[in-house]
Amino acid sequence: MRGAVISALVLLAMGSGAAQAQVLPFDMTPERPASSEPDSGGDATPPAPVTQGNSSRPSGGFRRYLLPGGDLKLPGENADRAWSIYLTPQQAAAGAKLNLGYQNAILDAPELSSLSVEINNVAITKEAIRSPETISELNLALEKNVLKAGENLIRLRASQRHRTDCSAASTYELWTDLESEKTYLSFDDNAARLLTNLDDIRAIGTDENGLSRFEFIVPALEQPSTTMPLMRLAQGLALRAGMPNQSFTFKQPVAPASDAPPADAPLSGQAGPSGRLTVLVGTAAELVPLLPTLPAAATSTPVAGFAEDPVSGSSVLFLSGPDWPAVRIAIDSIVGETDNVTPASRDIIATQRWRAPDAPFLFSDSRIPFSRLGMRTEEFSGRRFRTDFAIGVPSDFYADAYGEAVLLLDAAYSAAVLPGSHIDIYVNGSVAATVPITAAGGGILRHLPISVTMRHFRPGLNVVAIEAVLETREDKACIPGTTGSLVPRFALFDTSELHMPDFARIGQLPNLSATAGTGFPYGRIRQPIPLFIDRIDTSTLSAAATFLGKLAVAAGHPIAVEAVASPAMIGNRNALFIGALSGMPQMVFSQMSIAEDSRATWGTAPRGQALEIDTPAAFDQWRQKLRGGSWRGQINALEEWMQRNFDISLASLRFASRSEPSFTPSRESSLLVSQSTSLDGSGTWTVVAAPTTKDLEEGMRALSVQQNWNQLAGRISTYQPGVATIRTVPVNAFEFMPTQPVSLANYRLIAANWLSTNILSYAGLLAAVAVILGLATAGLLGNLGRRG
Amino acid sequence: MRKAAIIFFWAFSSLCVIALVTLPINLQTQLIASIVVVTFMGMIKILRAEGAWRLMALASGTAIVLRYVYWRTTSTLPPLNQLENFIPGFLVYLAEMYSVLMLALSLFVVSMPLPSRPTRATSKGNYPSVDVFVPTYNEETDLLANTLAAAKAMDYPSDKLTVWLLDDGGTLQKRSSANLLEGQVAKDRHRDLQAFCADLDVRYLTRERNEHAKAGNLNNGMRYSHGELIAIFDADHAPARDFLLETVGYFEDDPKLFLVQTPHFFLNPDPVERNLRTFERMPSENEMFYGIIQRGLDKWNASFFCGSAAVLRRRALEETDGFSGVSITEDCETAIELHARGWNSVYVDRPLIAGLQPATFASFIGQRSRWAQGMMQILRYRFPLLKRGLTIPQRLCYMSSTLFWLFPFPRMIFLLAPLFYLFFDLEIFTASGGEFLAYTLAYMLVNLMMQNYLYGSFRWPWVSELYEYVQTVHLLPAVVSAIVNPSKPSFKVTAKDESILVSRLSEISRPFFVIFAVLLIALFVAAYRVYTEPYKADVTLVVGGWNLLNLILAGCALGVVSERGERSASRRVKVTRRCEFGFGEHWYPATIDDVSVHGARVNVYGKETASLAIDGRGLIRFKRHGSEMEEILPVTVKNTQILGDIVTIGCRYDPETARDNGLIADLIFANSQQWTEFQLARRGNPGLLRGTVWFLRLALYQTSRGLVYFFGYRGRRAGAAPGTKR
Repeated sequence: MRGAVISALVLLAMGSGAAQAQVLPFDMTPERPASSEPDSGGDATPPAPVTQGNSSRPSGGFRRYLLPGGDLKLPGENADRAWSIYLTPQQAAAGAKLNLGYQNAILDAPELSSLSVEINNVAITKEAIRSPETISELNLALEKNVLKAGENLIRLRASQRHRTDCSAASTYELWTDLESEKTYLSFDDNAARLLTNLDDIRAIGTDENGLSRFEFIVPALEQPSTTMPLMRLAQGLALRAGMPNQSFTFKQPVAPASDAPPADAPLSGQAGPSGRLTVLVGTAAELVPLLPTLPAAATSTPVAGFAEDPVSGSSVLFLSGPDWPAVRIAIDSIVGETDNVTPASRDIIATQRWRAPDAPFLFSDSRIPFSRLGMRTEEFSGRRFRTDFAIGVPSDFYADAYGEAVLLLDAAYSAAVLPGSHIDIYVNGSVAATVPITAAGGGILRHLPISVTMRHFRPGLNVVAIEAVLETREDKACIPGTTGSLVPRFALFDTSELHMPDFARIGQLPNLSATAGTGFPYGRIRQPIPLFIDRIDTSTLSAAATFLGKLAVAAGHPIAVEAVASPAMIGNRNALFIGALSGMPQMVFSQMSIAEDSRATWGTAPRGQALEIDTPAAFDQWRQKLRGGSWRGQINALEEWMQRNFDISLASLRFASRSEPSFTPSRESSLLVSQSTSLDGSGTWTVVAAPTTKDLEEGMRALSVQQNWNQLAGRISTYQPGVATIRTVPVNAFEFMPTQPVSLANYRLIAANWLSTNILSYAGLLAAVAVILGLATAGLLGNLGRRG
Repeated sequence: MRKAAIIFFWAFSSLCVIALVTLPINLQTQLIASIVVVTFMGMIKILRAEGAWRLMALASGTAIVLRYVYWRTTSTLPPLNQLENFIPGFLVYLAEMYSVLMLALSLFVVSMPLPSRPTRATSKGNYPSVDVFVPTYNEETDLLANTLAAAKAMDYPSDKLTVWLLDDGGTLQKRSSANLLEGQVAKDRHRDLQAFCADLDVRYLTRERNEHAKAGNLNNGMRYSHGELIAIFDADHAPARDFLLETVGYFEDDPKLFLVQTPHFFLNPDPVERNLRTFERMPSENEMFYGIIQRGLDKWNASFFCGSAAVLRRRALEETDGFSGVSITEDCETAIELHARGWNSVYVDRPLIAGLQPATFASFIGQRSRWAQGMMQILRYRFPLLKRGLTIPQRLCYMSSTLFWLFPFPRMIFLLAPLFYLFFDLEIFTASGGEFLAYTLAYMLVNLMMQNYLYGSFRWPWVSELYEYVQTVHLLPAVVSAIVNPSKPSFKVTAKDESILVSRLSEISRPFFVIFAVLLIALFVAAYRVYTEPYKADVTLVVGGWNLLNLILAGCALGVVSERGERSASRRVKVTRRCEFGFGEHWYPATIDDVSVHGARVNVYGKETASLAIDGRGLIRFKRHGSEMEEILPVTVKNTQILGDIVTIGCRYDPETARDNGLIADLIFANSQQWTEFQLARRGNPGLLRGTVWFLRLALYQTSRGLVYFFGYRGRRAGAAPGTKR
């Protein structure tokens, strides 16, 4: 029955596309003359910007912004970024131009530095980097068959050398910034902006700030029964688009009853469709006033598809039917295909929208050659080589205290490289291993094992960087021109491997980084999860949809939610609470150890500008300042060596975890995400709260930006809008949540990690077991052999 | 049932320890655990807690050692694709694992040694007939006289006691040797000893051919004698009077008993003790074996025969056709065979004989080579672990005793390993400075503490290492040859009656100076590299420290091979015994201060004696032990010294009859109590810290002494030849 409905839907969706095609037949002709003018001789004069200002629209073609996360910095001597964008068949077919806007550091030597672009592994250009003063733009017409319908791999590489300095430290002064606003594909053909097929949701792209936003217009928003289907739709769209910084906004529809003719109010507020998609959801009756082009079929069957907004001329997504049950079926037609992913079968984390290729998901002992991680064999002639790759670890990763992964490095260094050079491994930006190069005269490293601590690994995506800092005699002499040498000094081969051992796997609650990374534990639960929403209004729903969208992307599939009217209905199940803090039920405060008076006080005082000084950081700075060459300095050095090698503080000398101190959100924060177990410890509760619903929506939108979302950790994370940072409250007391079948091997590793965290417990346990063994031996020796 | 429960509980707790130890915990946890365990052990040590506490301390130490083994095995071996690092690295690993294995075996043997048995000298019982065998090959009559006289003087019904001199130096084969001189010497010896034995009332026995060395000689003795028990003394091991009373009774208690072994107590220092001058202050090397290890073996009914100072049951020996002679250590081999047939052994922890040990470094090495090679032969021909009939504890005990002699391999590897890094830049041990601190240093510390726990008052810190090192240089080739060609080594009698009159370097000292020089160069290389290669200074410091440790040992060994000259030909034993000194017609009251096998020093009250002529005749009158009758021993005065009213007279024995020899033996050997007291006087645990400081000072001094001898000796070489008297 259901299958029949869906197949009918698919037909309808295709039909609607065909219908549009009739309305707007593709016109291939006008692309030729438009592209002929400024692109070929772009060397002598900077290519004149084809378009100025933000006029354009209906006739002037359309820009598809390229950078997935806003402005992009390419630092150091070699930088390499790759990601993929999705293009509709129309976009691929339309002739496109590539516009790149960049500025670089003044210390980049222009004759030695270059920026190159590859699309689908075809070299597009290689330009000298020569724009320290202002933003320069490159404008290149792309050959016709470069772009394809579907995924297109974009790769940017910068190779930069310092003008004067030959030290490794100086390479940190090299950078090229790509301006998001000026980096785009431009299509002359207006058809390129139109979306026709449901697959084209993936082509939503980003706006000039690297953001992607779905704008929901739902006339029946106020009806509680519509909330859950909309949450499901948001997740489905989030999963299909897979963009790094995507958020949802619910907008009140322009009142159909108003006098103004509907045609004057464009449905999609912003002019261009890049990074924006308007979604209309409702029964045919509700939508027709807003969207006259809604197919007539909507009055009889569920329909989902794109229609053209007659006002703005861009495409809007509609989901409709004769009544709400039919709308739900329409929603399912979009969400359904993302449903069938189970956590066990997930072998990649979809990252290609901002980082290609997708990161492999590592659940247990595995060896992955670098070639499969998207790395290539590279030769390098500079002084600081850096490259990185990404891997995913599951949410029940529990090896941060003891675990070590092994990099089996295939590399070579030339005879010019002096001992004292080193290769460093960074995990998520923290140094995790250092291998000194100690032999002079060059060398080949064949599968050199490097133990990489997993201390900085976190559930979800992890970036491992390999950096080689190379010292040479020429660099020490540094005669002019040294930095321009092209003689390779270092090579990294793609036959190198990452060996991930079996690691302890057990869920920990609370653990916001697992929730952010893989949607844990909600992603593993098949029953609908109670979603407590304090008030159904556009702001709260926007925040809820954005949060669930992020959660679904992290989990890899939509998470079923159900509305609960009162907190009493939640019981001890896993649940989500989203709303203003003042509207949160009392039990949330006690479970989360949040001071209950913050319900009234948070957000009432004017928000400060976060001028407070971070005490530990300031203390460290003062220590650094006062570090002298005296004998005290020597002791400090020893202390630092101890700290570096052992990282033992009094806090780490503990037998077991302590209870959580009460938390009061600070004045500067505008959003709080908190997690705890349910009353009896069997479920997980996560709260997203803010002083007001407006703060909630804005804060959640800020949190949806990938770099913020990835910082969610601990038991409570707060967002400070003034400085746009996330602060976390670490977990002291947590509970285990078994995720794996009972196995001795796993328990052993879990014990290893727990004991490595509660250091004194291990020492105590070892002593206790030794005492028992001593007594047993005494008993044994007293009973065996001869006795005195 | 109860036993099974106890074993199960022990196995379960061991399993818990292993489970905990093999957890892949992080470095911090390891460091803290090490600190906690070391503190725990130290506290138990300071409180001198014994019994179960001692076992708890050993168990916690074991846990740290096992953690080291786990870490060493899982994360420090160089990658297999770097063969130049892997091969030496793996050798070092094997050497360390051997050390750990030996530690495990010694823990098994000595974690709860059997307490000393109460004396049985006073208890009455049956007196089974005893044959005393004194095998000899080339020892001089003087030496034999003492031993035989002491053997004859043992408290035992004389009709039940027969003393046999088993002479392998006067066999028909020797007497009819093609070598004229050798044949003549053998003929003279044959004749003299026969007469001498007749005088002492001792049976003289020799045989046709020198087959199967000592074992053959003893078996020949068995063929001609009929006593129920056989006591065996080496030619230089003189028994105390109570030897048989203390030992024979055990055979009545246990009809399946084949052996009662007693310790070997030496009157003279071994060359290490002599050259380092530690004999009076520090427990002897063999005290660890006889004081602890044999007691530990005894707990598991695995105390074994050490060739002398033991009583065996004839019926047991007849079961195996006498003493086994496959290896050159027939004693241990015989014991294995009999243990495997279900016979038992007992160890009596009380010195009941006193003997001599090799005085020169060369003969010391010769003796050790024989032991090591013999043990290799046992490993090869009688592999104890798989020997049918032995109990499992006995197998482990014998493995411990035989495998011990593989020590030259690890010792040499530990010596060379730092050089691989310092000279050739090979990285044979993958670890950071921090890991080294948390694992290796903790392991070494715990290891030293455990050694101190097990052997504290019998073996001072670092002395085992020194002994192993000085033997390794020459033992390694001997052991290798025994492994490669196990049938080749043959029995060589160790010379024990040498003395060194002039200070000189040992004739086999050269390798020690070469090694010292190389290690010294390595030390400078290490210092240079710390300075020039700061990026790996931590590793260089660690390896340099290791090399420094080797250098300290090697320096101390220079003192060992620099033989000190000695005025007196043999060692004096303090006795303090009342006597009267006769001179002319008068008897003066006197005490015997100390005695040696050649003479005595007597303190005489009476100024007149000062006028005594050198080389004049004198008489000492005293009572034998346990007798009321006074007897007179003639002496020759060699020197006098006046100290107020007391005149100290040094004199040499002038034995004329067999009775005189008995008197001399009585003076030196009769009282076994004095030996125990001497041993106890120097037994004491200086502790790890004080012991280490003491050893460092000793090593520093001995290094300088060795170097002085080296340069002095080279200067004098043209002149006087080294004087060795045999």
